[in-house]
Amino acid sequence: MDIVGSFALLLAFLAAVYAFAGGIAAVITRKPLLIKSARNAGMAVFGLITLAVACLEYLFFTDNFSMAYVVAHSNRALPPFYKFAALWAGQEGSLLFWSWLLSIYAFWALFLNRKKHPELMPYVGATLAGVQIFFLTLNNFVATPFKVLAGADSNGLVHVARLSEGSGLNPLLQYYEMVIHPPMLYLGYTGFTVPFAFALAALLGRYPGEKWIHITRRWTMVAWGFQTVGILLGAHWAYAVLGWGGYWAWDPVENASLLPWITGTAFLHSVMMQEKRGMMKVWNVWLVFVTFMLCILGTMLTRSGVVSSVHAFAESSIGGWFVGFLAIIFLVCLAAWYKNRDYLRSDNQLDSLVSRESSFLFNNLVLLAACFAVLWGTLFPVLSEWVTHSKISVGPPFFNKVNIPIALFLLFLTGVGPLLAWRKTSFDSLRRNFAWPLAVAVLAGAVAFAFGFREVYALVCLILSVFVTLTIFFEFFRGARVIASRDGSNLLSAVGELTMRNTRRYGGYIVHFGMVLIFIGIAGQAFNKDVQKDMGLGDTLSIGPFTILCQNFDDVANANYESERATLEVFRNGHSEMMLYPEHRLYLASQVPETMVAIESSPLRDLYVVYEGRSPDTGKPSIHAHLNPLVKWIWFGGIVVVLGTGLALMPNRRTALVLRPVEQRSWGDAIAPESPAAVRAPIRRTDSHE
Amino acid sequence: MSDSDRPFLPETEGCMIRVFGRLLGGAALCVLLGAMSVALTRPAHAQSTDRAKHLSQELFCACGCTELLGACNHVGCTYSHAMLQKIDERIARGDSDDVILQSFVQEYGEKVLAEPPNKGFNRIAVIAPILAPIVALFILWEVVRRWRHRAAVAGAGGAPVSPELLARARNESGKGSDE
Repeated sequence: MDIVGSFALLLAFLAAVYAFAGGIAAVITRKPLLIKSARNAGMAVFGLITLAVACLEYLFFTDNFSMAYVVAHSNRALPPFYKFAALWAGQEGSLLFWSWLLSIYAFWALFLNRKKHPELMPYVGATLAGVQIFFLTLNNFVATPFKVLAGADSNGLVHVARLSEGSGLNPLLQYYEMVIHPPMLYLGYTGFTVPFAFALAALLGRYPGEKWIHITRRWTMVAWGFQTVGILLGAHWAYAVLGWGGYWAWDPVENASLLPWITGTAFLHSVMMQEKRGMMKVWNVWLVFVTFMLCILGTMLTRSGVVSSVHAFAESSIGGWFVGFLAIIFLVCLAAWYKNRDYLRSDNQLDSLVSRESSFLFNNLVLLAACFAVLWGTLFPVLSEWVTHSKISVGPPFFNKVNIPIALFLLFLTGVGPLLAWRKTSFDSLRRNFAWPLAVAVLAGAVAFAFGFREVYALVCLILSVFVTLTIFFEFFRGARVIASRDGSNLLSAVGELTMRNTRRYGGYIVHFGMVLIFIGIAGQAFNKDVQKDMGLGDTLSIGPFTILCQNFDDVANANYESERATLEVFRNGHSEMMLYPEHRLYLASQVPETMVAIESSPLRDLYVVYEGRSPDTGKPSIHAHLNPLVKWIWFGGIVVVLGTGLALMPNRRTALVLRPVEQRSWGDAIAPESPAAVRAPIRRTDSHE
Repeated sequence: MSDSDRPFLPETEGCMIRVFGRLLGGAALCVLLGAMSVALTRPAHAQSTDRAKHLSQELFCACGCTELLGACNHVGCTYSHAMLQKIDERIARGDSDDVILQSFVQEYGEKVLAEPPNKGFNRIAVIAPILAPIVALFILWEVVRRWRHRAAVAGAGGAPVSPELLARARNESGKGSDE
């Protein structure tokens, strides 16, 4: 199987090279047969990489310990669930996984547009193939997952060695979310290749009209949605597995995933300026380019070991390849833009400073400031070491100090921006849209303050969250009221009707509401509490309204790990509320210890208990309890964001007028004068999708 | 805004900007008052355990796990336990936060600090994220000013509008209420 996999990868590489060269030749010659053959080669890459992936999975499931990659990331006792996920546990496999997801996107993009945009698609195909060539080069010649273990016998003859057992999967990855988190994140990273390909293609081919920007926006939204899910799942994984009580540590790898998400968000907003007003074309094209480049940069940071990270599972000296690839992409983008910059001339100018356009400009400015701050903080240790020759660290205090004010300003714009009119906003409209939300938000802040809410950022976040929520609510309410009064339907069904008539707009509002929930959840962090205590049997620990009683310690074992487990009873106001079972595991194959956190989650707070092992001082088990308010809102907000994104991707329902079939009438009726009812009857309203 | 731009600013818009400015000013005042009241209501001397926790968030664990000291929960970590103990001892001795942090820098180097030290080249780390948005804002302002100037000049010149452009404008204004 390893030979089949290797050959499949090699053929995929050749097919990608053909798709690239054929695509360029097709752009020059415009021969239909060449266009078709280059496209087919691009689509064939998907089939070949799929075969390679299937081979590697087969090797994992058959415990083939003659394969270096299988030995490094699996063992016999590893549950099948994790054997499947071991594909992306290390450098070689995750690069193969990247290539595979990219090939899925490429196949999808080429197949969906096989009969559309004949001027654009050869460029798109060539760009996608160019990116695939890079990753397939790594898969074939730099980090092949099909490397066999070699051993020499007593005569010095080299042959394939086969071990009886593997080293096992990194224990940090043995958590159910790891099966879904990396694929989601990678779908985000790789997904941004498609809008990049369309943007570059439109620029190189000087594709007329704004159609390309519509295509780019939809693909960006898909990738952005996956990236959002990936980031949130990653945060949840960090929360549930790493056991330090938090979900975001501003680790370089976390930051790497956030960077393209931020620029992608900026693009999804500024693209509306181009669609509506023909403005910000250069900006939009560069946002797409930069988003893709940040995906590559993020991958490089994760794998090169340039910056140290708790999440970097696949460090190696592969960084040079990525730097070279980044340089090539940048030069190609720069040359394409310089040669065709007149193509990107703006159609319109800004009419008013108080308008939707200016809010988008601000939104983009703030998002880019956030992106810069995160990138700067991530790379500054490298820069500082290069200049001063001494190592420094940039950690959460720096990122929080810089990014919290930026994020709060963004939250403010989330409420203000969508309610400003295009071109110019009147004073009456401002007053009508903002007076109530602002008044209620300030009132909510005052009430919270009176009740002892003293954390400044959390208070500002609360005020802004109420403000944004109300502006969104009024937007739905006003629109639904018009529909309800016209159609005679109830308000709830009118909300559904309103949403389905303009999915993009109202899906966007739902995304904004999801972000508000996430902000509220993050603001809860200001009120975190934690207590650590060495606890013997019968000892208690108090945190917030809870008292934790240590009832038992026992050992649990299976073929994969041995575990020490605490049995804790949680009381609230003297009443027993729940049992928690935090664990401390030792994974047998890798001999790596890990904690398994026990979390009791509610919308108000999480009780998060970690069994940290036996204390070196007392010999007693050390229990660390955290009380984290509102964390659940983050995960729930994430679900709302994903639903909103899905809704925004759906086509609008359009109201249409359809004639009711005319009833058969007798000759006598036909000549009789028409009654008023007969005049009104023939027309009814029905709905259809675009 | 420069004087040359003022004639292009309609009175109603100027009024709106003033209203917006007042709203923003009011919001800023609220935040400021909130911050002052927080500063006044907070006890001057926090409990030593709170201080210890705060300091443990200002340092990285020296074991190389890349976690903050207060977040390092590696079982049997040979560094975090001793480092946390040292913070408690120093606090008990009456050392200030700066002195405690400096003692860690002397022992482990500057990389133990969770934030770059605010001196020499490393000042740029703090300055750049503040300076960059200001520069970007200035560039944005310039771009907007030029756009508006160009739009005003084009409007004053009374350039003829082609039928195609007119049709597109009608089409776009029809879609304008979508988003």
